Amino acid sequence: MATYRPSQMRQQKAQTAPQEPNLVPIMNLFLTIIPFMLMFVVISQVALVALNFSSGEGGGGSSGGGGSGKDLEKVEIIVLDSEYAKTNKFLGFEIREPGMDAKMISANNENYNFVALDRLIKEIRARKADLVDITVTVYPYVLYGDLIRTIDLCKSNGFTQVHYNRAVASFY
Amino acid sequence: MESKNSSNRKTRRVRRKVEDVKGLSITSLLDVLTIILVFLIKNVSTESVKISTEKDINYPSTITNDLLMEKAEVTPVKIFTDRIILGNESLNFGSPQDLLLSTDKRKAIQQYLKVEADAIYNNSSEEVEACLIVQADNNIQCEYISEIVKIGTSVGYTRIYFATLEDPDWLKNTNVASR
Repeated sequence: MATYRPSQMRQQKAQTAPQEPNLVPIMNLFLTIIPFMLMFVVISQVALVALNFSSGEGGGGSSGGGGSGKDLEKVEIIVLDSEYAKTNKFLGFEIREPGMDAKMISANNENYNFVALDRLIKEIRARKADLVDITVTVYPYVLYGDLIRTIDLCKSNGFTQVHYNRAVASFY
Repeated sequence: MESKNSSNRKTRRVRRKVEDVKGLSITSLLDVLTIILVFLIKNVSTESVKISTEKDINYPSTITNDLLMEKAEVTPVKIFTDRIILGNESLNFGSPQDLLLSTDKRKAIQQYLKVEADAIYNNSSEEVEACLIVQADNNIQCEYISEIVKIGTSVGYTRIYFATLEDPDWLKNTNVASR
């Protein structure tokens, strides 16, 4: 009498785990959406621009200086204001560099020409690759936003030690 | 034999087949969490001090972003167009014009910042540096900023930070606007 073992197929069918829903299309959708969302999202983040006054910087005084304390090859960017423009008929930037004539960058319709300033700073950077110090001298009626943009251009072009200086000290 | 089989059939217990209970799928939940995580990582700030943005201040944009020193104790100075707010307690010290016109106001600001700087150096370890974070409006004149910087450095703040909004394209936008 022949004996038969239980069917293996029946056993397998009984043990089959319930199938999970197919998540691949959903994942594909997410993978498409996320890069677009990240690309278009606008996140306002507070950044910081640092000035170091740790070694004798005058803190807005007319003397300037600061940084390492050694004799520096002083490149200076002077941001001229509207009061200066009234008397001297010029609004914009004046750039002083040792051994070179002072360069003037005039404003366009009372807006400072930051593009030209950026170009000039790049030229200075190309000539003086090792220099990291630069002085920004600001006149009193220059707007804060213009000052920060000037400092920002210096820093973005590798002048990491920006010295803050004000043109007129009339208090105390 | 046949009758025996029929009796067996009668006594056979018929069990209802219990359906397997499907476990909750957490895959979708994981997907959502992954997305949230991506946004959180994008927005996370490693700054040790949280700098709150002010709605009334129109911040300047910068390409560069200097990191705050690791061992820094910060005193915020917020210069609005109509008022100056000092310290974590948000004390009102009058208008920016008062800073230049009123000697008393100037002295009060100097005294407050000195107390804050001394407290930082006395209550903390030697390596800690007192830092001033200036949050000012785009349209504030630099004479007020210079005055705050001068007072800050005179009372012992070695580093001054200016709060801005990071925008790598501001120069390009300026370029387009000037054409």
